[in-house]
Amino acid sequence: MSATEVWKFAPAYELPSWPFVAPPDLAARERRRYPVVIAGGGLAGLTLACDLALRGIEVVLLDEDDTVGVRGASSRGICYAQKSLEIFDRLGIYEKIREKGITWSVGRTFSGADEIYSFNLKDESLSEQPPFINLQQFYLEWFLVERIRDIAPDAIRWKSKVVGVEHGNDGAVVEVETPAGAYALQAEWFVDATGANSRIRDELGLDAHASRHTDRWCISDVRFKKPFAVERWTWIDAPFNEGRGVWQHLMADAVWRLDYQMDQHADPESISRPEVAGARLRAQLGPDVEFEFVWIGPYQYRDHLLDTFRLGRTIFIGDAAHVVCPFGARGGNNGIQDAANLGWKLALVLQGRAGETLIDSYHHERHAAAVENLRVTRRTARFLAPRSAAEHRLRRAVIALARTHEFARRLANTGRMAQANAYPPSPWAPAGARSLQNVTLEGTTVMRVLRDGTRFIGLWIGASGAQAAALEGELGARWPLAVHAVAADSALARHVGAGSGSFVLVRPDAYIAAQIDDAAPANIEAALRCALASERA
Amino acid sequence: MKAEPGIADADGFYQAWVAAHEGLSDAESADLDARLVLLLANQVSDMKVLLDCIAAARAARL
Repeated sequence: MSATEVWKFAPAYELPSWPFVAPPDLAARERRRYPVVIAGGGLAGLTLACDLALRGIEVVLLDEDDTVGVRGASSRGICYAQKSLEIFDRLGIYEKIREKGITWSVGRTFSGADEIYSFNLKDESLSEQPPFINLQQFYLEWFLVERIRDIAPDAIRWKSKVVGVEHGNDGAVVEVETPAGAYALQAEWFVDATGANSRIRDELGLDAHASRHTDRWCISDVRFKKPFAVERWTWIDAPFNEGRGVWQHLMADAVWRLDYQMDQHADPESISRPEVAGARLRAQLGPDVEFEFVWIGPYQYRDHLLDTFRLGRTIFIGDAAHVVCPFGARGGNNGIQDAANLGWKLALVLQGRAGETLIDSYHHERHAAAVENLRVTRRTARFLAPRSAAEHRLRRAVIALARTHEFARRLANTGRMAQANAYPPSPWAPAGARSLQNVTLEGTTVMRVLRDGTRFIGLWIGASGAQAAALEGELGARWPLAVHAVAADSALARHVGAGSGSFVLVRPDAYIAAQIDDAAPANIEAALRCALASERA
Repeated sequence: MKAEPGIADADGFYQAWVAAHEGLSDAESADLDARLVLLLANQVSDMKVLLDCIAAARAARL
């Protein structure tokens, strides 16, 4: 059959493009100074630009291209985690994502023909957003671009390549090349979001401690008519892939992502030939299922981590700062969460409502998250690609026992799905900071309340509405704070684990900065002073 | 990690351990021991004890 089978390809995605518009800086006699300049219009850069624009901060995003998506429209991220979806709800694009994407919460792990492990992330969720939505990354970027253009039409500058950066103590001078000539602008804060191969980072001579893994995979994005479950299915050792791993996931437009683990010495060119990829699909789908390719892409993965995410007034976010192995959707989601961690801090520092050292907390928190994600994904990578006969033996023991013993199922590691990382104790959050899900709050939700300006929200458990209003009246003029009364028996109070009379201080990124047993104004002000790095008495 | 003797019938345990390996190839024996380690590790559960045991086993290499 395969000798005569003709492999069909779907027409390429039609991606939008946006025009280059000559900025006023090209003709200006003096260099303008902007509060924030971002280089790179991927997930992290666009999320930050959108976040800052909504906070009323003038932002310029420089992108060397004029569209979204790179190197094959379907490549790159597909799974967006609850915390990211909650952020997108705050930014106003969640409904589009939900309509276009594929909502899922169940994952299953197979060995051979047998299921040996499963999880349902919905069980632990109180959020308005689901645990995960799958969507091709370029759609997400597209929605972000449209949203930014609605709020700040001139913020994104297409076909604008950063060709040099002078990093100074009070900001950066950024040199830009465009189709209409070159110019330079000044940035009070400069953000590098140019991705894994950042030249800006490399030209600073920073060591990202890169390491390359030898495990090799080949993605086939495929459209076919066969009713697979809308779940995350992973095989540790699939019979239809010569006993190697396979991932199966649905994305938008009825496109399935099938990701096949290859022999690590395989030739990338030959394993991605349509007839070779087609034969793999035939083995999985059976003889009678019609399918068409959307994209075929072989890859090896690598990881890296910068020692510091802040260098004076220059800040690294997303893949420019950290890259992890691709298991568990901990790449793109953490770029998005870097941006959400940084946005409100930059806004409050620029508005003079927080101390500049607050920006150090971005490094402290997001570097710690990256370290954790690196550790988690390297463990998965090691389980999926044993390096010796002995390692194969240990994994065989796990798989054999998992069929009959509940405890062993937990050792079958085909990826630990991205969660909002908890942050370790710091000067800005002495007890550490943990994420608050998007739960119901006074007829609306936490994220919708957080849309309203750049403010902390205080959840006063067991207080009356009148008490909350009085406290907000007392503190709201001096601090960026809104106070809400929360019933002691509410889902929100249970989720936070806070008893009656206590006060939970929630940051603009929906992380809990402090939990205060006695809601006296002086105690709340002390927590705010800390969380804002404020020198105000 | 417990250092003092904990198995009352030490010879009986050893006999059962040996018997479990009877008739197996080297590879099958090694697989059996790996499964046994996992089952025992779950009985122990305490991470500190497990790490101490791993270190002690590695240190006692002949």
